[in-house]
Amino acid sequence: MTQNAEHVLDHFELFRGPEYQQMLANKKKMFENPHDPAEVERVRDWTKTQEYREKNFAREALTVNPSKACQPLGAVFAAVGFEGTIPFVHGSQGCVAYYRSHFSRHFKEPTSCVSSSMTEDAAVFGGLNNMIDGLANTYSTYKPKMIAVSTTCMAEVIGDDLNAFIKTAKEKGSVPAEYDVPFAHTPAFVGSHITGYDNVMKGIIEHFWDGKAGTEPKLERTPNGKINFIGGFDGYTVGNMREIKRLFDLMGVEYTILGDNSDVWDTPTDGEFRMYDGGTTLEDAALAINAKATISMQEYCTEKTLALVAEHGHEVHAFNHPVGVTATDDFLMAVSRITGKEIPEEITRERGRLVDAMADSSAHIHGKKFAIYGDPDLCLGLAAFLLELGAEPTHVLATNGSKAWANKVQALFDSSPFGANCHVYAGKDLWHMRSLLFTEPVDFLIGNTYGKYLERDTGTPLIRIGFPIFDRHHHHRYPVWGYQGGMKVLVTILDKIFDEIDRSTNVPGKTDFSFDIIR
Amino acid sequence: MNSLSATIQDVFNEPGCGKNANKSDAERKKGCTKQLQPGGAAGGCAFDGAKIALQPITDVAHLVHGPIACEGNSWDNRGAKSSGSNLWRTSFTTDINETDIVFGGEKRLYKAIKEIIDKYDPPAVFVYQTCVPAMTGDDINAVCKAASIKFDKPVIPINAPGFVGPKNLGNKLAGEAILDHVIGTREPEYTTLYDINIIGEYNLSGEFWQVKPLLDELGIRILACISGDGKYREIASSHRARAAMMVCSKAMINVARKMEERYGIPFFEGSFYGIEDSSDSLREISRMLVERGAPDELIGRTEAVIAREEKKAWAAIEPYKPRFKGKKVLLITGGVKSWSVVAALQEAGLQLVGTSVKKSTKEDKERIKEIMGQDAHMIEDMTPREMYKMLKDAQADIMLSGGRSQFIALKAAMPWLDINQERHHAYMGYVGMVELVRQIDKALYNPVWEQVRKPAPWDNPAENWQNRAMAQMDEEAVALAADPVRAEEARRAKIICNCKGVDLGTIEDAVATNGLTTETQLREHTSAMSGCGICTSRVTDVLANLSVRLAMAAE
Repeated sequence: MTQNAEHVLDHFELFRGPEYQQMLANKKKMFENPHDPAEVERVRDWTKTQEYREKNFAREALTVNPSKACQPLGAVFAAVGFEGTIPFVHGSQGCVAYYRSHFSRHFKEPTSCVSSSMTEDAAVFGGLNNMIDGLANTYSTYKPKMIAVSTTCMAEVIGDDLNAFIKTAKEKGSVPAEYDVPFAHTPAFVGSHITGYDNVMKGIIEHFWDGKAGTEPKLERTPNGKINFIGGFDGYTVGNMREIKRLFDLMGVEYTILGDNSDVWDTPTDGEFRMYDGGTTLEDAALAINAKATISMQEYCTEKTLALVAEHGHEVHAFNHPVGVTATDDFLMAVSRITGKEIPEEITRERGRLVDAMADSSAHIHGKKFAIYGDPDLCLGLAAFLLELGAEPTHVLATNGSKAWANKVQALFDSSPFGANCHVYAGKDLWHMRSLLFTEPVDFLIGNTYGKYLERDTGTPLIRIGFPIFDRHHHHRYPVWGYQGGMKVLVTILDKIFDEIDRSTNVPGKTDFSFDIIR
Repeated sequence: MNSLSATIQDVFNEPGCGKNANKSDAERKKGCTKQLQPGGAAGGCAFDGAKIALQPITDVAHLVHGPIACEGNSWDNRGAKSSGSNLWRTSFTTDINETDIVFGGEKRLYKAIKEIIDKYDPPAVFVYQTCVPAMTGDDINAVCKAASIKFDKPVIPINAPGFVGPKNLGNKLAGEAILDHVIGTREPEYTTLYDINIIGEYNLSGEFWQVKPLLDELGIRILACISGDGKYREIASSHRARAAMMVCSKAMINVARKMEERYGIPFFEGSFYGIEDSSDSLREISRMLVERGAPDELIGRTEAVIAREEKKAWAAIEPYKPRFKGKKVLLITGGVKSWSVVAALQEAGLQLVGTSVKKSTKEDKERIKEIMGQDAHMIEDMTPREMYKMLKDAQADIMLSGGRSQFIALKAAMPWLDINQERHHAYMGYVGMVELVRQIDKALYNPVWEQVRKPAPWDNPAENWQNRAMAQMDEEAVALAADPVRAEEARRAKIICNCKGVDLGTIEDAVATNGLTTETQLREHTSAMSGCGICTSRVTDVLANLSVRLAMAAE
């Protein structure tokens, strides 16, 4: 029976019915010119070999299953962290639809973002008119406090000059002359989403601190005791930012978060639609120039931003997505040293609890091999935590990792006996990872949702930590930073380890003598 | 006297128990139920002891007659392994309620037995008595008897309600139950000259399966294992075995001894923990079988297997030697007295810096000195603070102990490895010892311990509790050293007999004033050693020291 109105089947069930199965089989047989299944199997097996791995790693032009996104995605991420700000992407609207759906699928929240909707005309004659009309419409329709302009490739290829365009638009009355329109060029053909984050963060800070594109005098810095905090592009930003604020409040640290996305991506359902929520106030963004130091949680998300901040006389500190005891110690010690605030008993107790949990359970993680892929800082943070637990981060891969990053990961390996047999892969993709998992198998894979194909293909169980996570809900609401965040990462890893033990011991009468209640 | 009290008295009279043998008639009558101290942190009850002793019988339905507490908290909580039926892991309870307490729960119990037989048809149903129905007067013996007849199926009452005593008593009562109702009720399909019983082995983590292939290879048949991976029919026909091995734990000494008495099955106490002990046990099994009529050639074959396995095990341990060089181990083993474990650890290059002697006999202590040298730390009852200091002073790199001591190890920031029954690794037999060595290696090199040992980097080390406690203890020690009167008081205040609270001073005075020379005299004068009897070896030490001192004084 095909679909029946009395009992409608969803796609999980429907296409398993005999009539669909036969239809698919017929289609394959009659129209798809299928290969001999044995031959398909032979080739499949061959792709698991060392020989294939060598050919795979010799790839020069083709990228297969990249683990990175484009600059404008990071641009949008950075922009929505400011109060009442709408990201305005100068370029084609299709790109913008991608960023919005990408974030909505991860955060399960709408992400407001507009585009200048460049068409073929604009591509030929330049996008100035799109900028003029776009800014005017955005300003009047969505009433933002600030419009942060970034670009797509299309605008970059034809060489649109954002600074000049925005000036012209203001002259033409699109937005008031004193209205804040920071901007950054964010071509997707350079870098990745973390570069885009960096460029927009830098653009916004430069806008407020350095005279708003020549329309106002630059701000004079009068140093105070506050610190600035930048999280970087982070899939766990909702939980992490709240955790960081809690830790700073416990310590009595005075701080400004530059780019706080924790509210806009976690709005309550209470009948009110919040197009904008929370975020760094524009006033705070400007006053942040007076802070004594600026801390970035992710070095490779803020290379240019921190360079700019340092030029203004700040002490700057970049961490690599700290996860676990030692990394969090280093972070809190730096904050404590800079601000002169002591780390209170409550945080010390949280630290002790994480150490306790690690001691209770680490025997299960100790000696296990992991493959990790993701953004460069996340890879470093997770690899360091695994080494702390006595696990081996055997393969660490970042498609958007640089040579400098690779050196840093190697230095991390060298610092621990558990790093001896570990390797770092910069600029490689998930098809490379596939070869690695077949030729040098590991116990677990850590990565984002796309890792589920590798899990299915290679049989390596996937632990979902990273961005994007599309097929599991709400993990972004919990921190992975701070000692409590370390606890969350520990538990996530342990859960999978125990699930695997259960899975491999659950066949009645065959393996279930070890299907135990107590682990 | 009802039959339960009679059974308990009988268990207390167990002649096979070394502790009982040391007691006077009057003391023995009081039993080994060391009165649990109200307010103390006590261990499990008799019901728990009975259940863990028999639960590993895999094809039996274990029905707990009582409120949900008893079965609800103990369901599937032991890591015994089954090679067949998993019925033992299904939780059966009568889950009695207020009505059953007011009007009696016997009918409910009877119906529950019927439903189990209807739905599962197991070879037998074991019914466990618990405190509440025992108090309200449910007669499980009568119900089981009626059900057995009605359903033509063995329904065995296990009469060990929690209040009758501690876990260990429950083990023995469980043994009595199977002696009375199970063992000898069937005949095996066939018998051989190579049939043995293994008694008091629970196949935790499946560890007995590491030994069984060796027995299989030698053609030795395990007629019944009581109770690990046991089957009802095997245990019911176990009275036809030629010999028995009682595995180290004394939990089922009464079973072994009474089977010898009733069926003429000789037994020996042995252990498969450690390479040496495994070999000794295999040898002893062969020897006994040959003595009972098996062909002589078994001994030669056994020696060949032992030689091969020992060689393999030592070779597998060899690679760990460089990694263990200079590493120090503290052993807190409770009841396990496997000196061959110690020997294996030493062979692997580990240095033993201390061991617990709480449950050790005089011979054990001599053996410790022999193996570990005269300077070995022997740890008796210690407070956590003392154990912490000891761990620190001994500068041990790892502590091997049961789950109970793990938190002291954690507090002392000491790598720790579980070697008691809650563990998840199998340490029995030759391969088991290699696994133990491997696990020690893993624990020693686990970086988490380094993290555990480091205080928070912002902490002032002088102010943490460990250092404060150490400073306090040092202070006390200095104060005592400066004040000989107080030092003497402290020395004399050391408790020798925990059950009766007899301190060293009392014993010394009793010896000095009454000229006592034997343990028996001391027991009569001071009531020391009249509780659990564990302190006897300590008293012996005290007497020996005193006689040396008196002799020196006389010179």
